[in-house]
Amino acid sequence: MTERTKIGVYVCHCGGNISDYVDVEKVVDSVKDLPNVAVARHFVFMCSEAGQQLIKDDIKNLGLDGVVVASCSPHLHEKTFRDAAKAAGLNPYLLEHVCIREHSSWVHSDNREGATRKATWIVKTAIAKISLARELQPIRLDVEREAIVIGGGIAGLRCAIDLARAGSTVHLIESSPFLGGRVPQIYKLYPSGKSGCEIVEELIDEIKRYPNIKIYTNAEILSAGGAIGDFKVTVKVNPRYVGKVSDDVIAKCPVEVPDEFNYGLTKRKAIYKREHSYPDIPVIDMDACTKCGECNPDFDQQPQTIELKGSLIVLATGFKPYEPEEGEFGYKVHDGVITLPVFERLLALSDGKLEYNGKEVRDIAFIYCVGSRNEEHEYCSRYCCVATLNASLGALEKFDGLRAYHIYRDIRAYGKYETYYEEAGKKKMLFIKYDPEEPPVVEKSGNKLIVRVKDLLTAGEELEVPVDLVVLSVGMLPEMSEVFTMLRVPFSRDGFLQEVHPKLRPVETAIGGVLLAGACQGPKDTVEATASASAAVAKADTYLVKGYAELEPFIAEIDPEKCDGCEECVGECPTSAISIKDGKAVVNEALCKGCGACGGVCPTKAINLRGYYYDQLEKMIDSVGGD
Amino acid sequence: MPEGYDALVVGGGIAGMEASLTLGDAGFDVLLVEKEPSIGGHMIQLSKVFPTTDCAGCITTPKMAATGKHPKIKLLTYSEVEGIEKTGKKFRVRILKKPRYVDENACIGCGRCEQACPVLIPKEWEYGLIGRKAAYIPFEMATPKKALIDLDNCIMCGRCERACPKEAINFLQEPEEIEVEVKAVIIATGYNLFSPEKKKEYGYTGNLTVIHTSANPNIIHGMQMERLLAPSRPYHALVRPGDGKVPERVAWVLCTGSRDKSVGNPLCSRVCCMYSIKQALLYSSAVPFGEAAIYYMDIRAFGKGFEEFYNMVRELGVEFIKGKVAKIESRNGNPVIIAENTETGEIMEEEYDMVVLAIGLLSNPEAVKALGVELDQYGFVAQPQENSNPAVTDKEGIFVAGTATCPKDIPDTVAEASAAAAQCIAYLEEVGS
Repeated sequence: MTERTKIGVYVCHCGGNISDYVDVEKVVDSVKDLPNVAVARHFVFMCSEAGQQLIKDDIKNLGLDGVVVASCSPHLHEKTFRDAAKAAGLNPYLLEHVCIREHSSWVHSDNREGATRKATWIVKTAIAKISLARELQPIRLDVEREAIVIGGGIAGLRCAIDLARAGSTVHLIESSPFLGGRVPQIYKLYPSGKSGCEIVEELIDEIKRYPNIKIYTNAEILSAGGAIGDFKVTVKVNPRYVGKVSDDVIAKCPVEVPDEFNYGLTKRKAIYKREHSYPDIPVIDMDACTKCGECNPDFDQQPQTIELKGSLIVLATGFKPYEPEEGEFGYKVHDGVITLPVFERLLALSDGKLEYNGKEVRDIAFIYCVGSRNEEHEYCSRYCCVATLNASLGALEKFDGLRAYHIYRDIRAYGKYETYYEEAGKKKMLFIKYDPEEPPVVEKSGNKLIVRVKDLLTAGEELEVPVDLVVLSVGMLPEMSEVFTMLRVPFSRDGFLQEVHPKLRPVETAIGGVLLAGACQGPKDTVEATASASAAVAKADTYLVKGYAELEPFIAEIDPEKCDGCEECVGECPTSAISIKDGKAVVNEALCKGCGACGGVCPTKAINLRGYYYDQLEKMIDSVGGD
Repeated sequence: MPEGYDALVVGGGIAGMEASLTLGDAGFDVLLVEKEPSIGGHMIQLSKVFPTTDCAGCITTPKMAATGKHPKIKLLTYSEVEGIEKTGKKFRVRILKKPRYVDENACIGCGRCEQACPVLIPKEWEYGLIGRKAAYIPFEMATPKKALIDLDNCIMCGRCERACPKEAINFLQEPEEIEVEVKAVIIATGYNLFSPEKKKEYGYTGNLTVIHTSANPNIIHGMQMERLLAPSRPYHALVRPGDGKVPERVAWVLCTGSRDKSVGNPLCSRVCCMYSIKQALLYSSAVPFGEAAIYYMDIRAFGKGFEEFYNMVRELGVEFIKGKVAKIESRNGNPVIIAENTETGEIMEEEYDMVVLAIGLLSNPEAVKALGVELDQYGFVAQPQENSNPAVTDKEGIFVAGTATCPKDIPDTVAEASAAAAQCIAYLEEVGS
């Protein structure tokens, strides 16, 4: 092919991020006279309006047929510059964005000469690459207004409602038999003061108003895959073994087992339902059922396998509370050491006076940061400080004569939640700050629990706090799901799901079309979880409401002249994007991720990666060969 | 008939830009009204942002450019919403476009008027660290990059008029009343900064914009430190404002004007812990042998990756002292911090080259007044369904995002901005055309 000979080269200072360590003028000087280059410039912020205008003006006035921008990582601004090129009438894929910040100035800040040389090489290879670049077109996919939401907690409910309101069909998948997640277990939510049940009931009432929300409870995900515009999820809906029956029928069940919703504080029948939730149909717990037949069961019900399709998937799989180790602050060793979620249920269930295991509770110690901010879980779980303060205030309001001690590291009552901290102080609760190097110790003494702690607020004075109940303020862990592996969603260092960029693309994952909502991304309270759920919907709406998605064209391209149909590539493709038709390989454009694995095994070199053609790569290597 | 849009977004900071871009990308027509001469808000002024230490300019500038040129977004800068009235399903909005005294369509942003202008006054955008002219472009990356004339300080010499190659200067411009009709509104009016002179014992007596009248110019506030550390920093080096010396010992005073009833703000400002920790990190790399100390009440590193960031900075050698600073005095031009170290009980008196007051974020009720939504007792926009739908206000069709509801960091703001856009889209699809 003929080479491009009117290439514009633009080197960015990035304020001083690049120019402090790379001699940008020298970079420009060393490439401006290259045979394919028409113009080379440097500018303080290439990504700014003025910088982009510079490129656009040159494209128009000098008739550039290729552009190289050397600045920050393409992750940040490749799209910015491609859009600018497009606006000036140049095919956006005739613009190459290379990184001389992360790859040169930042990592070689101790060696200006070396950093400049490396930046020059990077720019030269980009010029070589673009000189042989083809005009490419983005792949346009039709997107039907249908989405899959995985997880029926508060975030999933919010997502389903907002998607449905904007006119999309929603498949809402919940693994447990009832919608609602963990929020209904909370006695009173901050900041509204409403109970968790009340909030979830309101959302479920709203869900019921939208016939375009299809709900699958008691559902396991068997497989999940596909790409934006074309996801497929197979669910197995497990039988409930009973239809809609009255409460009297449920009462006939002779079996009683600990109720997991109340963490075993109460019992439930083998057949049960949840008042605040959906569906209004009970379920039979077959592990407990004696098959006595009193509740008109239908033991012949079979699991149903359903294939769902959606243009996008929202993950709203939530969190699970940290379960302390046996002996951690006396947990499971001393009677009266419980976790915050259990305390929430205790508050909701108790009336008149607060009792635990038949013993009246007067003094309560709350120990903070259990399972957070330590070696195993370095992160802060964000919600627990305010949730604990709020629960303690709720307890003092509901029961007379309680005394509370807060044994903490930092009280992170951020923003308006500071008022909860202040309120706790007003209620004469005591605050004791502990050193994580010398954490509090819980011991049993007679019928009391003793918390021994060194108080940093009184210069390390050793205190003994006698209490009836110790509440461990446990952090959040990610609720794992096999669907993460099926969809290949990446994790962050903290074990939660990873967003693309916390500020630029906070609800998107590296997998196009898979979005995040709520606490699966990191600890969040209900306000933050529902906001992030709506944010995921906003992102989804930009495809669903518009009706199409545009994908990058960098996928495998097969030269049918050279392909001999050997099928080597078919086996190599990790996304099953290649098939053989009429003796030749063909690529499914929505599935191909452009990894290039097929090209590597092709014995006839029939497969090129668009945007990275063999001749481009060869010229790139040649361009720096002599230096 | 007034011009019609699907949505009005009030405020062109990161929340307003994000909400506008989301709506625009989904195909809705947006009118974005910003009271300042450029969009970008506070974020474009920041140095690098926690916990990823991306440079704020690198993230904000392209958002500004994308907002400015989006085919579905119409931008009205230097304009304020004066009133709003709901008739049927639509809102009729009155907007006041303030005169720039420069013809926006003619101005090419060349800066010649700025060079010609003989008046020098403190530059608000740099928090008074350096000056600007009476004829000026607000800052280098301004969007739109158009000049304006500050008539309060102009001496009417006419030099800008003669220097302008496009005859864009027009001293006769009048304020313009614009009426539009929209179906929905998103409030993204942001926050006000706490004025540190209110905390008298900390010795910052300067007007926020005029640092040179401070009793001790080496006591600065957090936003001034952001500017000193930014890649586009005013002095092109990290020096203290008083005498240009490189500060070798710097202290940060957290909760200046936050969690403090004595100045009327009982709330926590949510970002100051983290921005101070980040500033200490940036300071340490700018002045490798410098000493950094942070005086705190509680370290609130609660967001994703924040605790890890805090641990990293602590391990790098930044000193963390638990203690509320009682007073800041001056000795030989150096600020002296007097505080009780809560963990040792000892009263400390420490001299530093520079002290940074980590000022907090307050509500901005003036900016929302015209919109008629309910505010809470602190002047923030009230969220009647906070737990389950935080983006809605008490008025149907009016949504809210970002720090208009309470102080918050950028990741939370961006998420909320999208959330408000989602509620707005759902509402628009339901009310139909």
